[in-house]
Amino acid sequence: MNQTLLFLIPLLPLACAVLNMLFGMRLPRLVAETLAVSGVAASFLLTLLFWGYADGAGTHALLGTWLPVGDITIPFALHFDALAAPMTLMVTGVATLIHLYAVGYMHDEEDYARFFGLLNLFVFAMLAIVLADNLLVLFLGWEGVGLCSYALIGFWYQKSENARAGTKAFLVTRVGDIFLAAALLWLFALTGTLEIAAINARAASFAPEVLTALTVLLLLGACGKSAQLPLMTWLADAMAGPTPVSALIHAATMVTAGVYLLCRLFPLVSLSPDGMAAIAVVGALTALYAATCALAQREIKRVLAYSTMSQVGYMFLAVGAGSVAGAMFHLLTHAFFKAALFMAAGCIIHLAGGENDILRMGGLFKRGPRELFWVFLAGALCLAGAPLTGGFFSKDGILLAVYTQGTPLFLALWGIGLLTALLTAVYTFRLVYLVFAGEPRGHGHPHDLPLLMRRPLWPLALLGLCGGLLNLPPLVGGHEWLTHRLGTLAGREILAGHSIEWALAGLATGLVILGWGFARWRYGQFRGEQENRASRFLLLGWRADALVDLLFVRPFTAMAGLCAIGCDRALVDATLDGLARQTTACGERLRGLTTGRVSTYLAGFVWGFLIILGWFLLALVK
Amino acid sequence: MIVPFAHVLIFAAILFTMGLGCVLARRNLIMILIGVEIMLNAAAVALVGGSAYWRQVDGQVFVVFLMAMTSAEVAISLAMVVYLRRRRGTLEADRFDGLRG
Repeated sequence: MNQTLLFLIPLLPLACAVLNMLFGMRLPRLVAETLAVSGVAASFLLTLLFWGYADGAGTHALLGTWLPVGDITIPFALHFDALAAPMTLMVTGVATLIHLYAVGYMHDEEDYARFFGLLNLFVFAMLAIVLADNLLVLFLGWEGVGLCSYALIGFWYQKSENARAGTKAFLVTRVGDIFLAAALLWLFALTGTLEIAAINARAASFAPEVLTALTVLLLLGACGKSAQLPLMTWLADAMAGPTPVSALIHAATMVTAGVYLLCRLFPLVSLSPDGMAAIAVVGALTALYAATCALAQREIKRVLAYSTMSQVGYMFLAVGAGSVAGAMFHLLTHAFFKAALFMAAGCIIHLAGGENDILRMGGLFKRGPRELFWVFLAGALCLAGAPLTGGFFSKDGILLAVYTQGTPLFLALWGIGLLTALLTAVYTFRLVYLVFAGEPRGHGHPHDLPLLMRRPLWPLALLGLCGGLLNLPPLVGGHEWLTHRLGTLAGREILAGHSIEWALAGLATGLVILGWGFARWRYGQFRGEQENRASRFLLLGWRADALVDLLFVRPFTAMAGLCAIGCDRALVDATLDGLARQTTACGERLRGLTTGRVSTYLAGFVWGFLIILGWFLLALVK
Repeated sequence: MIVPFAHVLIFAAILFTMGLGCVLARRNLIMILIGVEIMLNAAAVALVGGSAYWRQVDGQVFVVFLMAMTSAEVAISLAMVVYLRRRRGTLEADRFDGLRG
């Protein structure tokens, strides 16, 4: 087989997106939906087919030249290696299941062609990020996912708050994109190439402070896309989009693009200890921040959004601790169980008749379909990190990597990670109890769930539960398949004694049980939620929106007002308007002279003649 | 030359001024046209005087042209006077102020 066939993986979804966007509304609905699903499914099968290409140093595929500028050419090239292959498989696999779910979810939607076109386009852009061989192709995908995310958050744009949420996501991620673009240009100036492998190879020759600055720029870029501090305000609002979009873009794939970027450039990033510490600090603080916010949220999807932010924070922490394998492991398991949780949340909202306030739900265990409960519980156990689930092993791996760094800073971050694990268990089980336990508190009447909305949940929940097999530590008889598969890309090797590993695993288990116990005590019987200052503070996400408003939006608006009124209107407009007014007044006065009467004009002639005559006479006299 | 050239020029100047005065002072279109004719004739007198003084025939040739031109001008302008009178019912020059700004 030809390596160029690798291009089929991203291009099939693109082709389906274009077809759906151009002709989707003219095709029968079934054809449009089949097209969307089959494009992604075909990519998934192709990834499996080409799996062997990722062996060793991976395979390089070249489609053509994109930008020939002087003696530099930027090609359309893909790099399919051990880091990209699992990510591609995850993206296409999860996307296939979510597309299937979306067919059921969007059953009554009129505008299905736009939806499926954008969803397919998103998969293309995400695959461009994952498979990119040079940073410009990656940036193309990076902007592409941003665009699709914007368009899909505001999919129901008739409600202006949805459109506003889309704009907010677009603008906040754009701040991060600027930093990424700056890093790209700097790297290009330093190396004269944008090829990822070449940059990684030459990174060792950069000055240490340049490396740190580059790492911080890349980190800020990644923060925008992955909703990390300080660019995290958009993710919770992004839940305004349809649930399949939340599951695909804002849980499983796009928000992990930042982690993937840092993993891709890990050889560069890892050379700067300060940069690594910054990544770890950002990750740990975001994990804690988002976990506290999730404790007080009332909308089911916002709880999940904050938990996503928190889990992505763990991934950043893993990268900062030097464990690419740990980050990728958590990325994969998180994608499975969080997609399952989101899709189950979509089913729950559907069953509750559009209600998404968990305080007005309840009783779904008795009333709803039992399978929904089991799927949601499976996802929740993974999220909380209950022993032997995928989330347990991946989170444990990260905490172990952080602990083995050993410096005081990393020990403090480890403490934050443990605290976050406890909070995660609390808010996860709070969600489960509020939704499923007790008697129904809402007025929703049970609907039937379409089969397409139920079936895709199972494989994801199973993958989440069994995700630990991907990278099972030797402690419990595993071979760390993912770490071996990544080989040289796996980052720092984690060396720890068995006793420490057992102790950490026991600690994590204890925290989960503690969190579960607390949630059971507090939310086992619904007692209402009394609102106080602390819970309002957390509900509003530490008032981060108000802070951004105060620090940036209001000064910006004031500045704009100053420019508009003080500069534009008072100076520029006033000058031009004044000139125009003076000219008009002058013309008005002069207008009186043209009476239209011949006699006036003749008199004018004569006076002019006399003046000229007088002038000549005067000249003659002199 | 019996009449001194200066007298001819003074006479032409007086004639011209009278014509001009007529054009400026009168409001009737026909009277204004008559004033214009007088001014043209004043110019013709000056030309003939100059021709006699310098013994050159050019001035007289000019006067012949002037007469032809004047008759053409009178033909056109009287036609317009008739037309305007029919159309607006008046020959008052100040009533024709369609070009007022």
